[in-house]
Amino acid sequence: MSTATTTHEAGTGSGIASGPLRGTLWLVWRRHRAALLTGILVTLAACALFSYQRIGLMGFLGGKDTGAEALQEDFRSRFGSAFSSDIQFLQLVPVIVAVFLGAPLISAELERGTLRLVTTQSVGRGRWLAATLALPLTVVVVCTTLLSVVFQWLWTPAHSLAVGGDWLSSGPFDVTGPILVAKTLFLTAVGVALGKLIKRVVPAMLVTAFTSAAVSLVWGEKVRTLLGTARSIAYPYNGNGPDLASDAVRIDDWVATADGRLFGFSTCVHDAHPDACRAKLGIVNRVTEYFSYDQMAGMQWLGTAALLALTALVLAFVVWRARRRPL
Amino acid sequence: MRDSTPGPWAIEADNLWKRYRRRWALQECSFRLPAGRVCAMVGPNGAGKSTFLGIAARLIQPSTGTLKLGGVPVDDPTVLTRVAYLAQDKPLYPRFTVAETLRLGRELNPRWDQALAERIVRSGDVPLAARVGTLSGGQRTRVAFALAFGKRPELLLLDEPMSDLDPLARDELSGLLLAEAAEHGTTVLMSSHMLSEVEEMCDHLLVLAGGRLRMAGPTDALVPAHTLVTGRAIDGRVPKELAERHTLVESRVSGRQFSAMIRTDGPLADRPEAAPDAPWDAMTPSLEEILLACMRSPDAPALIMDEARKETAA
Repeated sequence: MSTATTTHEAGTGSGIASGPLRGTLWLVWRRHRAALLTGILVTLAACALFSYQRIGLMGFLGGKDTGAEALQEDFRSRFGSAFSSDIQFLQLVPVIVAVFLGAPLISAELERGTLRLVTTQSVGRGRWLAATLALPLTVVVVCTTLLSVVFQWLWTPAHSLAVGGDWLSSGPFDVTGPILVAKTLFLTAVGVALGKLIKRVVPAMLVTAFTSAAVSLVWGEKVRTLLGTARSIAYPYNGNGPDLASDAVRIDDWVATADGRLFGFSTCVHDAHPDACRAKLGIVNRVTEYFSYDQMAGMQWLGTAALLALTALVLAFVVWRARRRPL
Repeated sequence: MRDSTPGPWAIEADNLWKRYRRRWALQECSFRLPAGRVCAMVGPNGAGKSTFLGIAARLIQPSTGTLKLGGVPVDDPTVLTRVAYLAQDKPLYPRFTVAETLRLGRELNPRWDQALAERIVRSGDVPLAARVGTLSGGQRTRVAFALAFGKRPELLLLDEPMSDLDPLARDELSGLLLAEAAEHGTTVLMSSHMLSEVEEMCDHLLVLAGGRLRMAGPTDALVPAHTLVTGRAIDGRVPKELAERHTLVESRVSGRQFSAMIRTDGPLADRPEAAPDAPWDAMTPSLEEILLACMRSPDAPALIMDEARKETAA
């Protein structure tokens, strides 16, 4: 009788959703239960919020022309702050996951010595490592996919209005489509690898935070605009323009000669006789470089491919390191 | 003195070497341990005890040499089902409850014996619902023992299992260890600093110093192999025939007296040849005296009893 009671206690004491999980998967779930449940709950809450915001947004947009100037003003005052805080939150997701889930994943086991406990049970080191990486990363993929899809559903109807229509550098590019998933996976893998190398939880978290910041900086400054070929439109120097779609993102402006030779935008501006200077160089046009909205998905998938390749590389390094040293 | 019990060997080490970056942690370590023994591994810090246990637990890869546990080479992953290992700091997940810690054992070990593990935990009045982080050192060691025994190992490797326990917990847990090992016929290999503990608990000994095996064999054969000789020093030195005819492990001269720990090779005379008027005293030393002498003199020849000798040719 007493044994039966104990087994029952053991069953209930081990927590929610542990029922179908067995072996190393149960162990990994139990180890990271708090973090993973928090992640899932935050995801669901955020998705609920996005859905609620979409109801309001659709009511507001109902049948209006999203290009109108007056609408932009109105939109900014009613939804501007909601969109920018949604985007800020989603931009932080990869960093938070990398620091609080990725970095301690292996370093905590090393620091406390529990790696010696789990790897001296009857299951092999390889199986333990596979479960340790697979279960949390699967939850990460599911949660970030959900966040990204639901946010995209909210954002798409207002894509030319939210954050001034700048989908490239103001956030939407990084938090919709597959990019959010890939970026989170990559930074988390980097956190795991750093934890494996540093072997201490807190230093690993700090270094992961710095690395994430550096990666985000490089990503924003250098990588994003390389993912697509900017289009350009030319219009007369003194004429009106450029006539861009409201959802196009302006990258750069130039001045150009009739045969298309480009000069910096401020060429001749500070000259004593600007008109004479321009005439001498043959400048007759202005040129605007931009990305149009239809390029966004292609650029996102290209970026995703690069990030996933890097993720695979980092994870392969972790597996190689973890398997190589002890038997 | 040959007591060659035919049958399985719990441990067969053949010329094991382990090099860390700068130094050799283990050098030409060859011995074998018959199944069913409680064997102590003794040696000063840095002698290579933890390295050997780590190799046996598949945590450390030897540089060269082979190690078989119960006849299975240690590089075969299935060896882990037969061996339980308890690290010195007894790592457990502090946020797990005791019941969850036992579930960890159940989930990760096919031969898990839940009733046995629960009995061990229960007999120490450790509540199953308590978090491991809130337990005392003795209780935590008990849970770690339950995890190790629940695995139903043929060989239990313990790295200084009692070192961080108070005397009461030490007494209780060494009783538990011996009782469970005897009941299930488990071979135990434990490293220890405490010579009194070794003398009480173990029937087999391995002495390591400086990464080399100094002595190996059953306790009841090692002790009679040694004699402690005391007497008058000849010219301020130990009588030379002691070193010539026997194996001198350690000797000391204080004033006109000498004392020498020797391993007798043949009958021991009762007086020195140089001074027949001054007979020496020959005594049987205690195990502790033998171990101390052996660890203090790393240059003395090693004594590997026949039973523990691993024939390299075989």
